Amino acid sequence: MDRSKETVSTLGRMPSTRRHWSRAALLTSVGLMLAGCANNAPQDIFEPKGENSKKIDTLQRPVFYIAGVVALIVIGVVGYAMWKFKDRGQDIPEQTHGNPKLEIALTILPAIILAGISVPTVITVFQLDKKTDAECIINVTGQQWWWEYDYATGQCGDVKIDKPIVTAGELVIPEKTNVLLRITSRDVIHSYWIPALNGKRDAVPGRLHTLRMQADQPGIYTGQCTEFCGLSHSRMRQAAVALTAGDFQKWVDNQMKDYVAPEAGSLAAEGEAVFTANCSKCHQINDLKNADGSPVLSEPDLYVVPGVAPNLSHLMNRTAFAGWTFDLLTDECRVKLWNAKPADFGAMYLKGITPECFEQVALRDWLRNPPGMKPMFVDPNNLSSTGGKYRGMPNLNLKPDQIDQLIAYLLGRN
Amino acid sequence: MAIIERPAAVPATVGSVAAPEVVTPTQALGVFRRPVSSSGWKSWLFTVDHKKLGIMYGAVALFFFLVGGVEALLIRLQLAAPDNTVLSADQYNQMFTMHATTMVFLFVMPMAAAFANYFLPLQIGARDVAFPRINALGFWLFLFGGLFLNSSWLLGGAADGGWFMYSPNSSALFSPSHGIDFWVLGLQITGIASLIGALNLIVTVLNMRAPGMKLMQMPVFTWMVLVVQFLLLFAMPVITVALFLLSFQRNFGATFFDVNQGADPLLWQHLFWIFGHPEVYIIILPSFGIISEVLPTFARKPLFGYKFVVFSGAAIGFVGWGVWAHHMFASGLGPVSVAVFSVATMLIAIPTGVKIVNWTLTLWGGKLWFTTAMLYAIGVIVLFTIGGVSGVTHAVAPSDTQQTDTYHIVAHFHYVIVGGAVMGLFSGFYYWWPKMFGKMLSERLGKWNFWLMFFGVNLTFGPMHILGLQGQPRRMVVWPEKLTGDGFFDMHFWNQVASVGSFVIGLGVLIFVINIFWTWKKAPLAPLDPWDARTLEWITASPPKEHNFDRIPTVHALDEFFHRKYEEMDTEDGPRLVKVKSAEEVLAEEESHADAHIHLPSPSYWPIVLSAALPIIAYGVIYNLMLSVIGTAILLLAVFGWCLEPSVADDSDYDPPAGGDSTKELATLG
Repeated sequence: MDRSKETVSTLGRMPSTRRHWSRAALLTSVGLMLAGCANNAPQDIFEPKGENSKKIDTLQRPVFYIAGVVALIVIGVVGYAMWKFKDRGQDIPEQTHGNPKLEIALTILPAIILAGISVPTVITVFQLDKKTDAECIINVTGQQWWWEYDYATGQCGDVKIDKPIVTAGELVIPEKTNVLLRITSRDVIHSYWIPALNGKRDAVPGRLHTLRMQADQPGIYTGQCTEFCGLSHSRMRQAAVALTAGDFQKWVDNQMKDYVAPEAGSLAAEGEAVFTANCSKCHQINDLKNADGSPVLSEPDLYVVPGVAPNLSHLMNRTAFAGWTFDLLTDECRVKLWNAKPADFGAMYLKGITPECFEQVALRDWLRNPPGMKPMFVDPNNLSSTGGKYRGMPNLNLKPDQIDQLIAYLLGRN
Repeated sequence: MAIIERPAAVPATVGSVAAPEVVTPTQALGVFRRPVSSSGWKSWLFTVDHKKLGIMYGAVALFFFLVGGVEALLIRLQLAAPDNTVLSADQYNQMFTMHATTMVFLFVMPMAAAFANYFLPLQIGARDVAFPRINALGFWLFLFGGLFLNSSWLLGGAADGGWFMYSPNSSALFSPSHGIDFWVLGLQITGIASLIGALNLIVTVLNMRAPGMKLMQMPVFTWMVLVVQFLLLFAMPVITVALFLLSFQRNFGATFFDVNQGADPLLWQHLFWIFGHPEVYIIILPSFGIISEVLPTFARKPLFGYKFVVFSGAAIGFVGWGVWAHHMFASGLGPVSVAVFSVATMLIAIPTGVKIVNWTLTLWGGKLWFTTAMLYAIGVIVLFTIGGVSGVTHAVAPSDTQQTDTYHIVAHFHYVIVGGAVMGLFSGFYYWWPKMFGKMLSERLGKWNFWLMFFGVNLTFGPMHILGLQGQPRRMVVWPEKLTGDGFFDMHFWNQVASVGSFVIGLGVLIFVINIFWTWKKAPLAPLDPWDARTLEWITASPPKEHNFDRIPTVHALDEFFHRKYEEMDTEDGPRLVKVKSAEEVLAEEESHADAHIHLPSPSYWPIVLSAALPIIAYGVIYNLMLSVIGTAILLLAVFGWCLEPSVADDSDYDPPAGGDSTKELATLG
């Protein structure tokens, strides 16, 4: 008596209509995925905008195609076998244990494909590591949760930088120039990534890594810290801005210009005092002077873990703040800038944050309660693990009129 | 000598070979006796039976699967909309850390251990594993380690550094809660379980195979488990060292990863991934083994290229040690290392491809019977292939610098782990349930279970390929609206699809849980050999008797059981395979030649006591070292108890006392 035979007949059947339906659904979903990418996603890795990312793109496209074809073949063969060899009451098949020749052939075939992929891979690895052709060197330092850029004095492409430039969030580079980033970190590991221009490179404390950057044309290319770095990892963003040599010269000139003090008696002048009293402990504004003429020197290492806070000398020349997370531009102006034609981009960008394009809400909220917008420590009352230092900006309990004064002052920092 | 159980029907004198006399202390030393319960809760608490331990491993792993699943659903709820607020950043970081930790260490690994524990001795024709008490110790360490780890949720928050726990973000300065301490110590405890389990199963496979069973006649599941045990044996010490370093840094002021003291944070990454990459194969190979049993059974033909499958599994085990740095292509290793590891990573795709080819060719020319177990096994081929080829896209190191830490990677490894490992385990549930419990899981519910999970996996993880390639990074509590792109199929849309998909998977798992209860309460008894199976575990009763086999089967061929049932006969149409014996007849033949003396290990009090001491020590490390002292005292007591208890329960402990060659059934004492 063969009980297993019974179970075969009761369990082994599945309505063929359901199987057809499921196969159709599978095909549809694959089709949807291939056709279903968003247009114009700013961090699309298949939209390279520079020499280095194009090298990666050229390498990875065929790999994706081969991978897709291999997957489709395997799924196709499995599907065909399921249909062809389903139990239709045929005999128990011959108990064959394999076919070594076929096996060896099917082992060598993928080996050849992979060998074919590995050669250009190794070549590209070394090309992307090249440092000798650098035309501009910029130091990039990650810390919780923002990026600092420190431009080495000397030649940057066709432009000469003769005073140190320290800025944050937005990396401004000349177009068509081989920029070499020297990347490190002041606290935990971060990773610098501008998908349109190159792959990512970790910023590791105690180590210095290099990353090539080159943009073919003017524009703004967004990015994100991609190594998990704690509470506000998702709010540690960045962008690279490429400008023509002429526009880059203008940007550099503006960065190096002398401090513009607000008009005496204005709201902004009151803001300067508020800034000096509350913010200058951590935030540097170049050439800012105390009432007695001595320089205002920020000493953030006394207050925050990484020992620095963003330099705000030219805050209004950047389009976002606080780890490039919150916009200084209104949505309308931001979309216009992001979608600007390369020829128009430079002029629009160099205007900075004009009063009609200034998005006040986020900045005001930020000044009112920074940790509320961007979590920086779990318990502000328990800073014992950090020796009393903050990680990020604490709530300074600024009054509404102080915030008004500060905003008026900061608007002049362009 | 005490005998736990002996077949009542057989006169003791029939046994052809007398058991060799073993010199053991037959007298209990002082208070250290052995428990003898064979029923009730004590029989589970003190058991050393590999089958009971296997079931307990499975039940606890399933519980942690549900915990990790709920964590996953919360993550997908948070990511269903831009700038969402279901979870705070702190909760989110804990959630994804614990989701990964739970799924890897508390579900997939112990679930594979459950199957290995239960079926490895049965598949090689052994009565138990080589070291039964060590086996029990492993289970209790896993359970207590897992509970300890999860107790952090109630004691100030779970670990928040990601399962990879990169230094220096894992130092006390950046993660001041005790979460990471719980994580480190919890994994140390479960790590001991893996390590001793590995030793135990290696010794079992090498020494306790049934007469006639050569290594190349072992079922593929046993082979893959053996490879995994070697991986564990060499990988667990590495993570143990890394965890000790981190533990000493967090709890005792050491500076192994402190940059200000001259440390290089990449040290942790190397240690973690030298463990972490073999870990990937530790996770996947048992499922490869399971489907290598299921596919031949339901295709009615032997596994295509058995030797190739075995050797490719072993090759994966070797090459798996040479690819760890592909997790670090963006870490700044320098071009030479990156190039070498990139090519090595492509190399490992070859043995993996061999397996896919062999499974597909096993189907080819077969007589396919689409049970739920078979559907899951085929699901593994399909989904693992997708995960495998997307893996090749990031073996190409320059492309990986674009893809790493994006959702493309999340898509890849979930296709591999959920589509490969987890679906393989589900195949095992449906295939082996009748063997373990004597009842069949409902096939109707099973089909629902399968299709919901299959479509759920594709709905959840398919869109993640797109999300990642369009620039959505991992481990971010929020994703901003302004980076989602334009058009109907923007990233907002795909995130929502993924979230819906995760609940479809959840529904599938729910149906599985319902199926378990339905089967438990309602299902009729299963036939002895419901699948017309091929390997030794089906040669015994369902569920197997405590001693597994009345007579240890002698093995003549790969797929021994199949060849006992089927013979090639000449017919008018040429040679045909004909069923000459039913499973019942094969079993009856075995039972009629039952061994007279069957020696089974006695239960023991000490594994559970010893393992209970370790969480106490660990709580002490976190809160108060006095507690550790108490824990250590318990540990020492357990070690002494372990050493001093007799190797078997004294005959006089049984009621009525077992005398000489009587054929009494096992009696329970308290």
